Amino acid sequence: MLLSTGAHGDWGLDASAGVAYDDNLSNSLDAEDRKADTAAVIDLSGGVHEQLSASTGLGLSLLASSDTFAQYTGLSDIGLGALLQLRTKFGLGAQAPWLAVAAQAMYRNFHYDYLDGWRYEAGITAGKQFGERWALRATVRYDATVTTQTPPPLIPTLPGSPYDIYGWNLGVQGTYWLTGVDLLSLALNRRTGTVTSVSPPDDEIAEYADRAALNTVFGGPEVAYRIFATTLTTTLTWSHSLGERAAINLLYAYSRSRAPNDLGDYYANLINLSLSYTFY
Amino acid sequence: MTPSLARRLAVLACLALPASAQAAKLGALVSGHDGNPLPNAVVIAVPEDGRLPPLTKVVEVVDQIDKEFVPYVKPIRAGSYVQFPNKDNIRHHVYSFSPAKKFELPLYSGTPSQPVLFDKPGIVKLGCNIHDWMLGYIYVAETPYFGKSAGDGRVQLENLPPGRYRVRVWHPRMQGSEDATVQRVVLQEAAPARVEWKLRLNPEYRPRRAPLPGEPGYR
Repeated sequence: MLLSTGAHGDWGLDASAGVAYDDNLSNSLDAEDRKADTAAVIDLSGGVHEQLSASTGLGLSLLASSDTFAQYTGLSDIGLGALLQLRTKFGLGAQAPWLAVAAQAMYRNFHYDYLDGWRYEAGITAGKQFGERWALRATVRYDATVTTQTPPPLIPTLPGSPYDIYGWNLGVQGTYWLTGVDLLSLALNRRTGTVTSVSPPDDEIAEYADRAALNTVFGGPEVAYRIFATTLTTTLTWSHSLGERAAINLLYAYSRSRAPNDLGDYYANLINLSLSYTFY
Repeated sequence: MTPSLARRLAVLACLALPASAQAAKLGALVSGHDGNPLPNAVVIAVPEDGRLPPLTKVVEVVDQIDKEFVPYVKPIRAGSYVQFPNKDNIRHHVYSFSPAKKFELPLYSGTPSQPVLFDKPGIVKLGCNIHDWMLGYIYVAETPYFGKSAGDGRVQLENLPPGRYRVRVWHPRMQGSEDATVQRVVLQEAAPARVEWKLRLNPEYRPRRAPLPGEPGYR
C-alpha cells in the first residue's frame, strides 16, 4: 500500500493536437532526393502517478499517437505504448534539483508495413529551476527501433531491416519565462547511432551502409539505407499558456546528420504547431 | 437624580450601545495601472493611536482543491491559526520558505491534526512540493482591520472604530513596496471614507501545469 488512508493515485491525461512539417522526411543526402510533407499529429498520454515518498514519485502512463501525412501516406501511423517514470527531488520547493529515470516502449503501426515496429527509449534526466524564470535540464537517453517485418534484401551483402535503428542521445535544454504566460525553450541534442536514409540507388551510400532494402514510401522505387551518423538537433520552442491547463506551442527544429566518413551529411527542418491540454 | 449619577448612567448607556453604532466604514477600490479592477489585493487599515481589540483565537482555512490553494490570497490577523485541509484525493506537501513563517506539512491527505500558527506579520508564500505550479499567499496583518478585493476590485471594511488610520494595500504581483501605498484617512461614523489605488503589476512566473511538447507524463 503506497498511500495513506483517503489518498489515491493521481490519474490524469495530457492531450496534444497539431500540425507538423518536415522538409526531409527521407533523410536524403542529396537535395533533389529530399521529400517534404505535412502531417496532422495527435498525442495522448494518460496514467497514474503515485507519490512514493515526500521526494519521489512513480508515474505510469499509457501513450497513444497518430501521424497522418498529407502526401506520403505510408508514413502515417498509429502508436500505442507506455511510459514508466521515477522522479525524485533533492530538497523542497520548485527550485530543488530533480532527477528522473524513464523508460518508454511504443508500438507503431504504419501504412507502409515494413516500418511497423517497436520504439524503445530509456534515459535519465536531471533538471533544476534557477530563480523564477530559468530552468535547465540535461538528458542521456538511448533509443532503439525494432521492426516486426524484414523486407527482402536488395543487396545480398546488406540483409536485415534498414528501419531497425538505435542511438545514444545527449541533450541539454534551457527554458526561459519570457512573460508570465510565455516560455521560450532552446534544446540541443546530439545523437550517435544509426539512421535510415532513403534515396535512389547509390553505390557510394551502399558502401557505407550496413543494411538496405527497397523503399516505395515516397512513390518511386528507391532504396532505404541504414548508415551510421551523428545528428545534432537544435530545437527552439515557444509555448504560450491559454489559461491554466492549456498551451499553444510553436516548435522549430534544425537537425544535421553527418556520417563519420566522406559520405557527406543531410539536414532537416521541422516545424510543429500544436495545442496541448492537461487533465491532471 | 444627581448630575453625577446622570453622567455615570450616560457613560454606561454609551458603552452598552452595539459596536456598529460607533463603527465607521472604509471603502477601497484597487485596480491595475490599465484601469482594470484587481482582485486578491489586501487592504490593511492600522489605527494611528495603536489601539487594537484583543486577539481571540481564530482558526482560518486555506484549502487545497484541484491542485490549487483556495483561496489564492488569504489575509489573516497575526496570532491566528490556519488549517490546511487537503480536499483532493491525492496527497499534497505544503511548505513555505517565507521569513514571516517557515513551515512544512509533509505529504498528507485529509486535514492535519494541528493548525499552523502565524504569529509574525508579513507575507507567507505557499507552495506544494509535489505540484510546483501550486502557489498561494497568506497575508499576516498586524491589525484586525483588513479585507481582500473581490473581482470588481472593491474592498469594504466595516465596524472600524472612528479615528485616524494609515491604510495601505498589498498584492502578490505589485511593483514597489506596501509602504509606498500608505494613505492617511480619518474615519467618522457618519461619512464612510474611500481610498483608491492603481497598482503596477509584475508578471507571475509560475511553473507550468500545461504540458510542453515532447514531455509526456507527470510533471
